[in-house]
Amino acid sequence: MPKNQFINPEEVRKPGQIDFNPIPVNQYNKTVEEEKENFTKEDFLRIYNDMVVIREFETMLNLIKTRGEYNGIPYNHPGPAHLSIGQEAAAVGMAYNLDVEDFIFGSHRSHGEILAKGLSAISKLDDKTLEKIMETHFDGKTLAPVKESHKGSTKELAVKFLLYGTLAEIFARETGFNRGVGGSMHAFFTPFGVYPNNAIVGGSGDISVGAALFKKVNRKKGIVVANIGDASMACGPVWEGLTFATMDQFRTLWDDDMKGGLPLIINIVNNQYGMGGQTCGETMGYDIAARVGAGLNTDQMHAERVDGYNPLAVIDAYRRKKKVLEEKRGPVLLDVLTYRFSGHSPSDASSYRTKEEIEAWEKQDSIVWFGNELEKAGIVTKEELEKIKAETTELVTNTMKLAIDDEVSPRMDMKKYPNRIGEMMFSNSSVDKMEDREPEVNHPIEENPRVKQIAKKERFMFDENGKPHSKIKTYALRDGIFEAIIDRFYKDPTLIAYGEENRDWGGAFAVYRGLTEALPYHRLFNSPISEGAIVGTAIGYAMCGGRVIPEIMYCDFLGRAGDEVFNQLPKWQAMSGNVLKMPVTIRVSVGSKYGAQHSQDWTALAAHIPGLKVVFPATPYDAKGLMNSALQGTDPVVFFESQRVYDIGEQFHEGGVPEGYYEIPLGEPDVKREGSDVTILTIGATLYRALEAAKILEEKYDFSAEVIDARSLVPFNYETVIESVKKTGRIIISGDANGRGSFLRDMASNITELAFDYLDAPPVVVGSRNWITPAHELEDYFFPQPEWFVDAIHEKIVPLKGHSAENDFSDGEQLERNAIGI
Amino acid sequence: MAIPVLMPRQGQSVESCIMGQWYKSVGEKVSEGDILFSYETDKASFEEEAKDDGVLLAAFFEEGDEVPVLTNVAVIGKEGELVEEFDPHKGSDATKTKDPEVEKPAGETSKVVEFEVGEGSENSRVRISPLAKNMAEKMGVDVRSVKGTGPHGRIIARDVEAAEKTTVAEAKQSRPAAKPETQKTEVFQSGNDFEIKSIPNIRKLIATAMHQSLQNSAQLTHHLSADSRQVLKLRKKFKKEYAEGTISQNVTINDLVCFAVIRALEKFPRVNTHYLGDKIKWFKKVHLGLAVDTDRGLMVPALKNADDLSVIGLSRQLQELATQARSGNINPDLLSPEEAGFTVSNLGNYGVEMFTPVINLPQTAILGVCTIVPRPMEIEDGVYGFVPMMGLSLTYDHQALDGGEATRFLAEIKNQIENLSV
Repeated sequence: MPKNQFINPEEVRKPGQIDFNPIPVNQYNKTVEEEKENFTKEDFLRIYNDMVVIREFETMLNLIKTRGEYNGIPYNHPGPAHLSIGQEAAAVGMAYNLDVEDFIFGSHRSHGEILAKGLSAISKLDDKTLEKIMETHFDGKTLAPVKESHKGSTKELAVKFLLYGTLAEIFARETGFNRGVGGSMHAFFTPFGVYPNNAIVGGSGDISVGAALFKKVNRKKGIVVANIGDASMACGPVWEGLTFATMDQFRTLWDDDMKGGLPLIINIVNNQYGMGGQTCGETMGYDIAARVGAGLNTDQMHAERVDGYNPLAVIDAYRRKKKVLEEKRGPVLLDVLTYRFSGHSPSDASSYRTKEEIEAWEKQDSIVWFGNELEKAGIVTKEELEKIKAETTELVTNTMKLAIDDEVSPRMDMKKYPNRIGEMMFSNSSVDKMEDREPEVNHPIEENPRVKQIAKKERFMFDENGKPHSKIKTYALRDGIFEAIIDRFYKDPTLIAYGEENRDWGGAFAVYRGLTEALPYHRLFNSPISEGAIVGTAIGYAMCGGRVIPEIMYCDFLGRAGDEVFNQLPKWQAMSGNVLKMPVTIRVSVGSKYGAQHSQDWTALAAHIPGLKVVFPATPYDAKGLMNSALQGTDPVVFFESQRVYDIGEQFHEGGVPEGYYEIPLGEPDVKREGSDVTILTIGATLYRALEAAKILEEKYDFSAEVIDARSLVPFNYETVIESVKKTGRIIISGDANGRGSFLRDMASNITELAFDYLDAPPVVVGSRNWITPAHELEDYFFPQPEWFVDAIHEKIVPLKGHSAENDFSDGEQLERNAIGI
Repeated sequence: MAIPVLMPRQGQSVESCIMGQWYKSVGEKVSEGDILFSYETDKASFEEEAKDDGVLLAAFFEEGDEVPVLTNVAVIGKEGELVEEFDPHKGSDATKTKDPEVEKPAGETSKVVEFEVGEGSENSRVRISPLAKNMAEKMGVDVRSVKGTGPHGRIIARDVEAAEKTTVAEAKQSRPAAKPETQKTEVFQSGNDFEIKSIPNIRKLIATAMHQSLQNSAQLTHHLSADSRQVLKLRKKFKKEYAEGTISQNVTINDLVCFAVIRALEKFPRVNTHYLGDKIKWFKKVHLGLAVDTDRGLMVPALKNADDLSVIGLSRQLQELATQARSGNINPDLLSPEEAGFTVSNLGNYGVEMFTPVINLPQTAILGVCTIVPRPMEIEDGVYGFVPMMGLSLTYDHQALDGGEATRFLAEIKNQIENLSV
């Protein structure tokens, strides 16, 4: 909400109308003859060749899936194969004009795009660079099988390398482009500008926007193409990605050379079906997908439908649209019409379409048609075309032979290295900055108003007499987060942060106050209210090599970013075979006071998903140290913050929160209060209620509680807790998450297994009730309260003399609540 | 007529015994009083005598078998008499041969007869926390006798801690019935210059009891010596009378000291107690524990109602107890520290001049009797002579007794010894 843009009622209340510009549909009408001036014979042959290679590659897979053999070579591939037979012209046309540094993102049906972009890159790269790329990828492991028997040019070797790396990946071989852990739907090869394909429909719809953001913010050459299907236009994250990509601020608010649209083409590979649903006439209402562009910005995204059955039409469109992007007038939306002869997958019997329809499209088969046109125009002879086909068949056959040979193309040895995939989940590196250049900032850090203000604050909560300083003078948890983040902004030039109300407002909870003054727009900005795109774009940004802090204003909104947080962010480091790093720290604020949809602790959801690191600090010292660690690392971290304690001072760390940089390693719980009779392990702000409980236990019952703050959930070092349990023999695990299915339960189960012989009672979970969070005035009946701890100890662990419980922690009540599901 | 020989019941808590050696074999003639076989509890070993004349017709168990008490183990009778009816295995054999499956007419559904199986004590479910269970094992506390104060009566750590003070007796008496322990020593490891051997059960029990005693009470010892001229005089007199046959019992110095202690205990009921943590058990009678050194280890049998006895009776009964303890056929019930209110441990014979005996918990105190040493003493105004002085070491639990009381009690023993009249 920038102040410099005045919303004038006089203007906005005026009557008027929206005028749309006509959206071109299949306007390309040149003949091959006419294009002779733009293409050499080699160019034409390359287009034809690339289409044939894709067709044969996909045909091979189709035969393996449907008949168990190709060219007489038997093989069983139980995994997926979503084939693009029929769509070759669209893929080759898209890739033909792309440079090596242009990135493409794809879908589950992207073998063709990988090959098209790879072949395009090979044609543009010099031999030396090609050799370097091939020899350095996994230290030449992918190259070795094809290199051994190769005679011929480097470019020919590179083509073999491309086909083999892709096929070995599809067949889950360790020599594949992603060590065989990505597979058919996720294969990619970044040195050729092929970025991750995505098994979730529309998955690339927001990730690719983040890649374009990376190119823009870091002034990188090249554009980004998002190959997504026509049916994915129905997916929320795609729509969110489109709104993010078309934000006005790129043109209105971003400074100087940053002004202008994203270098992005949303390339709808419109094969007219979403599985079996017809997007035109049945499951969507846009009629022609290009229409969508008109709804997004005044440029209508320069939307256009292109005939994807004519490779020259697509090439022409890309030539024109690249120019639009160079002029910073992006993004662009292309609706590339095509058709797949093969089913959604080989198991698809095509019951949703007629034989006549398939035959009608096969009659117009782009490869046949294009070959005929070339012949008609006298550019090539039939023999030349046949030769290309024969050579391709041989190439694909040899590639298959190599890729199915267990000696040459082994699978990951899980017997020998049983933790191999586990080790791939995190990169665990420590990196000051993702690129080495001067970070763009508005002033020296010392001149920042917030930094100056914090300098006057008391960094420990109490004075020498143990009296708390006034709130306004106390260095608070939000200051700790701020210090870590501003420090990193001045270290790492790639770091950017965004989310809802991140800039002028200073974040909904004032953590970012002062950052607006320090940073130009392109490093800190307000996003649309699109949690999916906030996280999704961050993933794309990090994939390309940047560090980023997306913010989710309330934990309750995590669901809005479900696919991004659960399916994308955690998976790509491992699925890429550790080619990619994912330095994304998502700040997630956990609320209270605001009822059922603004007060939930969903740490368990994040902790459940493999591949995410999860932290939840509750003190300023821990918040700063953990944020520093999160931002120093290269792994995705979900950083939970509690709105209950943003203004709390440091009560534990002697000497208060250090002014300088320090890290607290992720995964180490911290003993906040020592005791001998019971251990209380807490997650998040529940810590303070546990400490109150410890006081009651001490004063009223002479019962000494040790309070441990988990600080992290993933990773988590249980040793500290087990040592404590060995001492006390008893433990309560508590947090503000509702008890059922919470991480508290996971901890209880681990502790039971690890410390069974030392336990004097079962570990007891004191979580919130399995209800909606009620209004603030009733919250004490929902969230764990100090008395709950005392009651739980009394009823489940050791009866306390003279105590009578007010809250029912009996077995009967537990059974009853579970039986009725609350 | 043939009569069965039963496995005797040795003490209230004994449920079964381990069969030892057979001294007679089947077919051999036996006379009343002949030793038939030996057997042992976890605590002591015994010998069973024949109570009739006849021929050993049958022996139903072999060495090492665990035999429930009051079970027939043998039959004595005339040659040719039938013994089958006495065989304790008979019932089970009979059911084995009778297979209902064979007799059941085809097509008829079998009747399911349900009957309750009595739970053996080792099977009965004890609610106990893992920590408490481990503690109990380490401390030798029998959890079956511990009352749980945790949720649902679960035995939790604090219950074991509380029970520890009072469960030495149970620990001594109970043992896992399924795992009879024999006294055989097992060599675990041996080297050129050492052997690591298992320790007998009694050693383990003594170790536990002693360790617990020191861990769970506030023990300290006062030393004092008593003029023993009167005791020596009496001893000399009894010795002479015994030699002359006037009396049938050789009264020892220890007997006389015990006699004096009993008198002192009557005056200091506070010492004749068990300290139970939050309460104290006061004895109206004197049950005196006597520490006896045996081949198997230290045993402390209790002499019940010792205050009723004359010095001769006391002497006789103490001797009997000591002999039984040494030969291993003592009633195990008498070995529980719960049985005695106070213990005397005499090391005087060994020349020990001073020591700190360890209290037999839950008793409150123990007296160590030391050797007699001649010491210079003022006999009359300015005249010094050597007086035989007997060392007395009183260890008491400061939780139960204060120093003043303990000292006064010790002084009273001294007084009793010095002015002993029988």
